[in-house]
Amino acid sequence: MNRLYILVVVMAAFLISCDKDDPIENGNDTKEPTGKIQIHFIHNVDGDPLVTHSMQYTNAAGNEYEIDEVQWFISDVFLHREDGTFYRIEGWKDIHYVDIDIPSTLKWQVFDDIPAGDYSGISFTFGLNEAQNESFKFVNPPESFMFWPTVLGGGYHYLKLNGKWKDTVGATRFFNFHLGIGQEITATDTTYIHNHFEVDFDTSNFTLQEGEKKDVYITMNIENWFKNPHIYDHNVWGGDIMENQAAMAVASENGHDVFSLSFGCCDE
Amino acid sequence: MKNKLYLAVLFLVALIVYTACKKEDKIDDPNGGKNGNDFIYDPTPYEFNFPGYFPTILNIPDDNPMTVEGVELGRYLFYDGRLSGRTHPDSLMSCGTCHIQEHAFTTGINHPVYTGGHPFGLTGIPTPQLTMPLVNLVFNNNGYLWNGMIHEDNPNLGSAAYGVEPLPEFHMRNIESLVWMGIVAPHEMYGSVEQTVNLIASIDMYAPKFQAAFGTPEVTYERISKAIAQFIRSLVSFDSRFDKYLRGELQLTEQELHGFVLFSTESGADCFHCHGGAQNPLWTTNLFYNNAKDSVFTSQTDPRDRYAVTGNPKDRGAYKAPTLRNVELTAPYMHDGRFETLEEVIDFYSDQLVYSPYAHSLMHKLPDGGARLNPNEKESLLAFIKSLTDHNFVTNPDFSKPDDLP
Ligand code: HEC
Ligand code: HEC
Repeated sequence: MNRLYILVVVMAAFLISCDKDDPIENGNDTKEPTGKIQIHFIHNVDGDPLVTHSMQYTNAAGNEYEIDEVQWFISDVFLHREDGTFYRIEGWKDIHYVDIDIPSTLKWQVFDDIPAGDYSGISFTFGLNEAQNESFKFVNPPESFMFWPTVLGGGYHYLKLNGKWKDTVGATRFFNFHLGIGQEITATDTTYIHNHFEVDFDTSNFTLQEGEKKDVYITMNIENWFKNPHIYDHNVWGGDIMENQAAMAVASENGHDVFSLSFGCCDE
Repeated sequence: MKNKLYLAVLFLVALIVYTACKKEDKIDDPNGGKNGNDFIYDPTPYEFNFPGYFPTILNIPDDNPMTVEGVELGRYLFYDGRLSGRTHPDSLMSCGTCHIQEHAFTTGINHPVYTGGHPFGLTGIPTPQLTMPLVNLVFNNNGYLWNGMIHEDNPNLGSAAYGVEPLPEFHMRNIESLVWMGIVAPHEMYGSVEQTVNLIASIDMYAPKFQAAFGTPEVTYERISKAIAQFIRSLVSFDSRFDKYLRGELQLTEQELHGFVLFSTESGADCFHCHGGAQNPLWTTNLFYNNAKDSVFTSQTDPRDRYAVTGNPKDRGAYKAPTLRNVELTAPYMHDGRFETLEEVIDFYSDQLVYSPYAHSLMHKLPDGGARLNPNEKESLLAFIKSLTDHNFVTNPDFSKPDDLP
C-alpha cells in the first residue's frame, strides 16, 4: 500500500516538475503554409574546395599563401519578395557562427517556419550589425571565443582568417586577417568604425513550397578577399590588422564579391 | 528482501525523475511517503552560482547529474590515499597527492617530494608531462589532458595492457575516465580497479556516503568515478581581482590595466586569441596550439602532443592552451615544465619564439622573435596576469581535504 503511495507521489513529482518541457501552445491556428530553409556554407579558393595548411595559393598581389582557419559570423538574413516585402530570419538564431573546423556549423538549420511562396532574393550581414555587436552577447564557446577586445571597440570578430604567406625574401610569415570594429584615434578621442557590410544576392529568385526544406548554399571564395577593387598585399599590411582601420576598410570593400549563392550543390 | 526490491524500485523511479528533470532546479519532495526507518533517496541537486558572464553550457554527462551528496563523497575519495588500493603509509596515493589546492590543483614547484613540481607514481615512475590545474573544467567541452585525448568522441574502452576490461564504465570520454586511468597508470597509482573498490568498500565511513549519493551503500567503480568527477566539476573559480573588477567591485591598478591592454591587443602582446579575456573568463579556449617553443617536433620529442590524438600533421607540437586563471600558483610552466617562473614565460613570448612549420598562425609575432616588450611592459603584463589569481578558490574549505580523513 505504502509502496504504491510513494510511487504515485514520485510519479506525480515527475509529471509536475517536467511540465515546463512541454511544447507551449501559442494559440496560433491561422495556419499559413510554411517551409524551412537550411543554409550550407562552402569555402573555396577560386572554385576549388579549400585545402588548409598547405602553401598552394597565390593571390592577386602575387603572395604565395595558405589558409589554416576560417571562422566568421553571418546575421540578418532576409528573404526578399518581388513586391518589396521580406521575411527576416528571427529570434535567437538570427546570428550564425561558421567554423571550418566544426562541421556542425557548416549547416545552419534555420529554426523559423518560413512562409511558402516566391522570393526574389536573399541578403545578409557579414559579421554583426552595429546594434547586435555588443560585448557579452555570447557567453558560450565557440561564439564567445570570437570576442573582440573592449579596448578595440568590443563585440565580436566578424571574421578570423588565419594563414601564412611567403614574404619578399621567401620567409614564411603569419597573417591574422581579422575583421571587426575599427578604431580611428586622434589626439583627443577614439571613434569606432563598424566594418560589417551587407551582402545582397539580388538575382536569386526561388520558390519555397509548403513543407519543403530548401537547401541554400553560400560560398565564400577566399581569394576574393584579396582583390577587387583593391589588391590586398600581405607584405604591405602585415600579419595583424585589428588595429589598422585602413587595412580593414580595404578588406571590407573587397568583401562585396566574396560570397556567392546557389540552390543546388555538388559535394559539400 | 522485499524491502530491497522496494528500495531499488524507488531508487530507479527517483533516478528517472531526477535525470528526466535535471534541467529543473527543484524536485518535488517525495518525503510524503516516509515510512519508519526506511532510507529515502533524496539527494539535493548541486547548484552553481557563478557570475552571468560565465558560460552556461556545462559538461555534465547525462548519467552523472551533480548532487551535493555526490560532490561531498567525491571530495573524500579525491583526498583519500587509500584510493590506491593499498593501506601501507608509503603506498597511499589519491588525486589530491598531485592535484594540490593551494597550487590551483597542480603539484607546485616547491613540493617537498616531487622536485621542481614534477610528480611520479607510487613506484617512482615520473608522469610523462606536468600536472594540469583542475579549474573550471565543467565549462570545457573541448577535451581533457594536454592533448585532449579524453573527449566525448573517443570510442575506446579499458586498457588491455593494464588488465582493464573494455566495459562501458572504463570509457575515455570525460573526467570520470581519469579515475580508472589514475588507478592503473604506472606513473600514478599502478594498482587495480578491483583492489581499490574492495578497499574503499571495507571502510565503514563510506557506506552512508555512498547511500546518500547514490541511494544504496554499494561501492562500485562506476560510483567512485562519478563522485570524484562531480567533485572536480564543482571546482569553479570566479573570484579573482579581475573578476571583481569586471563586476565593478574594485578598480585595478594602472599597471594591471596597462597589462590588460597589452594582453588584449595585437600591437601589444596578443595573448587573448588563445588565452581568453574579459569576454571569455575561462582564460583559455581549451583548444590546442603549437606556441612556437621549438624548431623540431617529432613523435620522439613530443610523443603526447595533439598529433598523437588526431594523426594530423598540423597538430605536431600542439598542446592545450592552459587557463591563465590562477597561473601565478601553477609553476612550473608548459606541458614539460620548461619554465620555472612567469617572468621566464613572458621573456619567451617576448623574445624567444622559434620558427617551425608547425607554429600556429596566431603566433604572428614569430618573425620578430616575439612581442618585443620592454621591461616596463613585461612588468605590467605580469601584474595583469597576477590579477587572475583567485585566493578564495585556493582556500575554499569546500574544496579542501576533509578533516576526518586519515
Ligand atoms: C601522480 C600524479 C597524479 C595523480 C595521482 C593524479 N593526477 Fe591527474 N594529472 C596528472 C598529470 C601529470 C596530468 C596531465 C596529464 C597529461 O595530459 O599528460 C593530470 C591531468 C588530469 C586531468 C586533466 C585536466 C585538464 O584540464 O584536462 C584531470 C581531470 C585529472 N588529472 C584528474 C585526476 C583524478 C580524478 C585523479 C585521481 C583519480 C588524478 N588526476 C590523480 C597527475 C596526477
Ligand atoms: C597561439 C596560441 C597562444 C598564444 C597567442 C599565447 N599562448 Fe600561452 N600557451 C599556449 C599553449 C598551447 C600553451 C601550452 C604549451 C605547452 O604546454 O607546451 C601556453 C602556455 C602558456 C603559459 C603556461 C601555462 C601553464 O599552466 O603551464 C602561460 C603563462 C602563457 N601561455 C602565457 C601567455 C601569454 C602571456 C601570452 C601572450 C604574450 C600567450 N600565452 C600567448 C598558446 C598560446
